[in-house]
Amino acid sequence: MSAKKKISSKTFAAQKRNRRKLLTFWRVIRYGTDSFIRNSWLSVAATAVMTITLLIIFSAFVTQNILTDTISGLQDKVDMSIYLKTDTTKKVGADLVTELKKLSSVRTARYISADDSRAEFAQSNKGDKSTIAALTVATNKNPAALRVVVENINDTSQLQKFVSTDPLLKDNINPDYKPSFAGERRNTIESIGRAVSFAQKIGLVAGLIFVVISSLIIFNTIRMAIFNRKEEIQMMKLIGADQSFIRGPFLIEAIIYGFIAAFIATGAGLWALYASSKTLLSYQISTQPTIDFVTFYGIFVLLGMIAIGAVIGIISSLLATRRYLKL
Amino acid sequence: MILLDRVTKTYNKGASPALDRVSLFIEPREFVILVGTSGAGKSTLFKLLTREEKPTSGKIVVGGIDYDTLKDSHIPMLRRKIGVVFQDFKLLPQRTVFENVAFALEIAGMTRREIKSTVPKVIELVGLTGKEKQFPHQLSGGERQRVAIARAVVRQPKILIADEPTGNLDPRHSWDIIRLLEKINKYGTTVLLTTHNAEIVNKLKRRVITLDHGKISGDQAVGSYRQ
Repeated sequence: MSAKKKISSKTFAAQKRNRRKLLTFWRVIRYGTDSFIRNSWLSVAATAVMTITLLIIFSAFVTQNILTDTISGLQDKVDMSIYLKTDTTKKVGADLVTELKKLSSVRTARYISADDSRAEFAQSNKGDKSTIAALTVATNKNPAALRVVVENINDTSQLQKFVSTDPLLKDNINPDYKPSFAGERRNTIESIGRAVSFAQKIGLVAGLIFVVISSLIIFNTIRMAIFNRKEEIQMMKLIGADQSFIRGPFLIEAIIYGFIAAFIATGAGLWALYASSKTLLSYQISTQPTIDFVTFYGIFVLLGMIAIGAVIGIISSLLATRRYLKL
Repeated sequence: MILLDRVTKTYNKGASPALDRVSLFIEPREFVILVGTSGAGKSTLFKLLTREEKPTSGKIVVGGIDYDTLKDSHIPMLRRKIGVVFQDFKLLPQRTVFENVAFALEIAGMTRREIKSTVPKVIELVGLTGKEKQFPHQLSGGERQRVAIARAVVRQPKILIADEPTGNLDPRHSWDIIRLLEKINKYGTTVLLTTHNAEIVNKLKRRVITLDHGKISGDQAVGSYRQ
């Protein structure tokens, strides 16, 4: 009987403790939201800085995406040609394409027959009447070709090996025209490759630098906001508030900054992206894949922004309150 | 109630101590006035009692709690047993009178019902009924100090430490605060008061401990003070 009574009193004490913890948790949230509302100017300033921070992060992400898409589009346009004899049959062309597609470094490959090649030439010179006239009477001497787009234009070693070792290609390769990655055009293609790698690296580094700088700015803003209230923290300590009770409302405030700022920054960022897409497109900058991505995953983009804002706010608050919370 | 045994506090190595082998004993329900010039060690003594600072050597026991064995995690609990009042009030500026007083109970995890029944009584005790919804900036200095006292005593602490509570007040409000402290002392709380005001010390006719350069230079049962 007494054992049963003992267990009951323990359970009761545990329930009471849990109720108190829950009560304290709600109070921390209430103190945080109250502080956010009552310190309105400070809240507006911190939210504005947080919005700018998140907008910079959003812009860095979008810019990096657009850059990658544009570069990828450019890479697709840089194809390499392996020239074949004029009389190469479609069957041989198709077999060679199949073989080429088996190479891991090859993204796409297609066969251009001598006739197609002449048609292309005619199309690109359609304003030049004398050339068109000459084409209609002359025998087609244009070479057939294999047009290859590689995954990485800086690495054509696998393709070069294929050209020198494949027996079917050896029989059909045009001895008068060197493949474009082996002759004079090689330097041009390599230059484009280097420029692409450089642009990608710069984009990534610039994005990271922006993110770090903006995080430092918001950290400093929150630190200043907490510094202004250090006497409050001191007083709370002296009347017996424990660390979590003092720190909690500041964390809640920082989360509110992040939450509101994420909505504003995402809205403003998306608007800017939509508004600028036509202009960017006129400069051959590819925005559509990024627009499709952020539209389709809009809710996740917003949640991501909220999470980033909250995490930056929480870390800043934790670091800033730490120095005032020493007992 | 409060025991200090040969307590020394030195802030920087090589510097002269802020408190130098101070020993004193304060009985429960006593009203003690601590006097001394600036730098005499009064603030250091209070910081040691509230455990803001640790003594360099010596023993401190307050309300049966030996500070030598006190864990850091228990310091908030200790502070909830000691009421503190400051010269500059240290109220929460964005909170009303009621909320400032209730804060001391909320941190201790008291329920809303308990708070609603306790706080009005204490506000009435300090004579601020009707001003519950006002913010600190809407109150006079004397009223702010009353709020600070209400916050300090709402948990019915055994000890109340008042550090220059009249330092920022005019004579009339100063006496209001002193009378209030006397009233609280009558209810059974040990009061430890510091003041520079000789008139208050001399008229109160209470135990006066004088600190001078970190040492106790006088301890009179019914003391007086000359600036």
